Amino acid sequence: MKLPMQTVAGALALPVSTIERWIRQGRIPIQRSGADVAFSHAALEKWAATHNLSFSLGGDQADDHIPETLGSLVSAMSRGKVYHRVAGEDAATALRSAVDCIDFLSEDIQDELFEKMMERERLASTGIGNGIAIPHTRDPLPRPPETPVITTCFLEKPVNFNAIDDQPVFVLFLLISPTVKHHLHLLSRLSYCIRDRAFVAFLSAHPDAVALYSRIAEFEKQLDDI
Amino acid sequence: MAQKLFHIFRNTPLGRETLLQSIYFCRQMGVLPTVYIPESTKFLMYFENDVVQVDLDPSYLNDPEIAVTHVEQLLNEAQIKPELFTPKNYTASTLPDIPTSFEFMCCPRSISDLSSKIGLGYIGPRVRRIIQAARFPVLITSPVYKPWQSIAVFFGGSANAVNALRLGIRIAKVTGMRLAIYTQVGKNNPSKYQAIVQDKGLGKLLESVLSQWNFFEKGRFEDNLYEVPHDALVVLGAYGHGIIRDIVFGSMMEKIQSTISNNLLIAGPKYTVIG
Amino acid sequence: MTRLLEKLKYPGRWSLFRSDDRLLLMIFAIIVGICSGLAALFLNRSLETMLEWLHHYRVYWWAIFLPAAGAALSSLFLEKIVNEGAGHGVPEVIYAVSRYGGLLRLRSGFSRLISSCLTIGSGGSAGPEAPVVMSGAAIGSNIAQAFSLNDRQRVALVGCGAAGAIAAIFNAPISGMVFAIEVILGEWSTMNIIPIAIAAVAGTEVSRLLKGNQIVFAHRDFNIHFHDILACVGLAIFCAAASILLTRALRSMHHVSKGVAVPLWVRAAIGGSMVGAIGYFLPYVLGEGYHAIRTAIEGGFSGGLMLVAVIALVKILATALTLGWGGSGGIFAPCLVIGAFVGLSFHRFLATVWSSVPWVNEGCFALLGMAGLISGILQAPLTGIFLVIEITGGYEVILPLIVVSAISTTLCHYLEPASFYLKDLVKRGQLLRPGTDARVLTDLSIQELLETDCICVHPNMRLADFIHIVKSSRRNYFPVEDQQSRQFVGMIHLDDIRPYLFDPAMHHAVLTGQLMNTHVKTVSLHDDLAEVLQKMDDGHIFSMPVVSDNRFQGMISKATLLDQYRKELMVQTDRY
Repeated sequence: MKLPMQTVAGALALPVSTIERWIRQGRIPIQRSGADVAFSHAALEKWAATHNLSFSLGGDQADDHIPETLGSLVSAMSRGKVYHRVAGEDAATALRSAVDCIDFLSEDIQDELFEKMMERERLASTGIGNGIAIPHTRDPLPRPPETPVITTCFLEKPVNFNAIDDQPVFVLFLLISPTVKHHLHLLSRLSYCIRDRAFVAFLSAHPDAVALYSRIAEFEKQLDDI
Repeated sequence: MAQKLFHIFRNTPLGRETLLQSIYFCRQMGVLPTVYIPESTKFLMYFENDVVQVDLDPSYLNDPEIAVTHVEQLLNEAQIKPELFTPKNYTASTLPDIPTSFEFMCCPRSISDLSSKIGLGYIGPRVRRIIQAARFPVLITSPVYKPWQSIAVFFGGSANAVNALRLGIRIAKVTGMRLAIYTQVGKNNPSKYQAIVQDKGLGKLLESVLSQWNFFEKGRFEDNLYEVPHDALVVLGAYGHGIIRDIVFGSMMEKIQSTISNNLLIAGPKYTVIG
Repeated sequence: MTRLLEKLKYPGRWSLFRSDDRLLLMIFAIIVGICSGLAALFLNRSLETMLEWLHHYRVYWWAIFLPAAGAALSSLFLEKIVNEGAGHGVPEVIYAVSRYGGLLRLRSGFSRLISSCLTIGSGGSAGPEAPVVMSGAAIGSNIAQAFSLNDRQRVALVGCGAAGAIAAIFNAPISGMVFAIEVILGEWSTMNIIPIAIAAVAGTEVSRLLKGNQIVFAHRDFNIHFHDILACVGLAIFCAAASILLTRALRSMHHVSKGVAVPLWVRAAIGGSMVGAIGYFLPYVLGEGYHAIRTAIEGGFSGGLMLVAVIALVKILATALTLGWGGSGGIFAPCLVIGAFVGLSFHRFLATVWSSVPWVNEGCFALLGMAGLISGILQAPLTGIFLVIEITGGYEVILPLIVVSAISTTLCHYLEPASFYLKDLVKRGQLLRPGTDARVLTDLSIQELLETDCICVHPNMRLADFIHIVKSSRRNYFPVEDQQSRQFVGMIHLDDIRPYLFDPAMHHAVLTGQLMNTHVKTVSLHDDLAEVLQKMDDGHIFSMPVVSDNRFQGMISKATLLDQYRKELMVQTDRY
């Protein structure tokens, strides 16, 4: 296989000017035809191995694409759906009935999720004030969903959640993500929305799913613009 | 990174004309001149596969201090920040090495230690060697300062001519001047040359700057050269073949430069298009 | 036809040599070895002819001006005709090898041959070896250039040229090979050793064909006892002293002659006439002195201790006068002569003091003295040992030879840390042996280390906007450019904004122009890497902005440097 100079420079993680100098100095095996320079893949690999140089074609690009697939709040929320009038007397029972709402998880996974979420609550409450809580697990589930999911549960009546401002909580955003990176991404977006007082007031009116999504979409547009 | 033109300053009225030519070229092209005031009559240029010793005649060494003021004066008039070149490495104590990483170089027709040969109307062997070995095009100026207003490219269809055409187009783009092509039609017909240009993907680019394409279908090439405007910068490619072939077939470059006294910009066989 | 020529011009592209160029190098090594061998023989022959021709005139008083005329002519030739500087040229070869892949001028292929022939043939005290090394190297380099070989191959051929020349002039293939590798290339790799060995053999064969297979300085058998070896220690000390004296004499002579404000050729003539005057009384010091060595080794030298010691000293003086005042030639042959006479005088000294001890033949000491001086001056012990063994054919002296060489080299190294050939280069910081730090730093350019993933900001940006840029950047450094002129005005480091980062009131009140650091140390694209590193070390900084023509080009950091430095070193020190 013949390779162009640019590819070779990329595979060795070196600037093109270094490769040009090495050609001039005769340090790298090449095949010349006229004024053009060609590299043979096999010869280069052998050469790189004898010199302990790392040589990999196109292996590095894979990492760069992840940020684009982190996804938006709206898509995560629409996957998780919105539930109203979720029952519960205290934090544990409210959380239990909220977890039971998540229909795409099997029962034993629901149990596991609940356990882990309670564990996280014991560390510190996820009630972040203004009557809002974002229950989540400390680490991703052993078999997490492929894409992040936020299930929104408006409670039948506000419950005591040991929130930081001691206000009773009226809405739970259950956040389930495949990786910590996804989790942080969505958490930062969600907390951006919640910081807005008007949005809190909007939430306290227990809006329906469509209204909520469109409101969130507006926030996300603001975020993307900056 | 700003492109650089390397100029060897000779502290004489002739040298002033040459520097003015370089300054004009630089201003048109947005290139910065780097001026070298020689400290000894010889220096070395190390190219990729050649080393050229350039011997200068002693007039290059006239009053180095005054030379600095002369250069600064000329550059300041043109509102260019003077940049003087000082060699860093020496092969021997009186033999500085001049780097060859410039984008352009300005040469007199002949660089030699025998002043009498200068202006005799042939390209000296040193300048030829530099053209053959250099990655940059060489600006060979006319003896008297002459601003140019258009660009003339000589195009004979070879790979080097294509390079020269690329260079010409680039200059036309940067300076906003019109470009004319001159071709001596041999056995081929004009459309063949146009096909070469299209082949190399230069068609679109060329259209945007081309004013006319002149085909000389009859007559001697030297006689036809009268058609080239007196105030054009002539761009041409030099060929890599040796002296023997030049003697047998005659060198196009030699014919052109001995017939017209325009400013010439010559791209050698190692010339690589930058940018 | 042209196609064939084209093909011949680029043998590196033939499919035969494409995968591995060793075969190509071997074939070229033979050609280069033969050519440089011929060049060496040419000089050798013309020297002999000239000496013979001028021999008849030595009796006349005006013969003292012969060396003057020769030196002046050689200086004129170098200065006016071929436009080269004086000097023996070996540093130039080493310089070209280490910095420019062995690119040498075509004119160097013959210029030193002719100039040194004029100097030495007329009686100047200098050696023909350095000139033939220069010619051989230039021949190798130009053959490589003609066939468009790359730097590594060209360097190998330069070594081949030097090896072929030394091998031919002394009929000594191993010395040629060792000299080329030890002194010229400074790199022991099989890639180089094989072609150089071939070239050395080719050069020797040429010399044997045309001159006959003769040992340059044949000698009788020696019977070496233990006390002789002990005495060698003393001899080595004398040799080291003589080496230092010669080096110092040459240097001070250069300074003296520089102070004389006359044209170069007149200077050479002054030196030459002084040598001529000395030679009128002591003809042993004239010329390259092979004849004197031969007499000394055969034990046919009749003079007493005083005379021999004086000859050694006067030879040092004559050599310094010839070379220091602008004559052309090398130091090799004078070293051999001085060494031979130092050895001889040491033997006479021993014989006088301990006359009862049965010392070995005086020729043996002359031979050991030669090795001692060569090793001391060149500080290349292997070259010294092999050369003396080969030119004398005396393998039985190997043990004392090594003792003398080792001690002499070590002693000289204390007083003169750099050898004769290298001291100019070391002084200029241009001794760039392969695989050394200096070489790697010279090969790498700032252009290659440039990190261009910095995001430029302009000085009229609000802190709030700047923080958004910080979020999307991977770097801690932000260059500030003027909005219109795009000129570099300063740098902002993340540390500069840290105090205001969590103070939202400041986000809209502060402009980047107020936060930036305008007194940043910058480097330019064309700076030497060694200087840049020095700047970094002085300021305890890890990265610096690269600014050329007032425009920001990128950052240079020690992290990237380490990465590239390692790769460069790995590629440079190949031993396959």
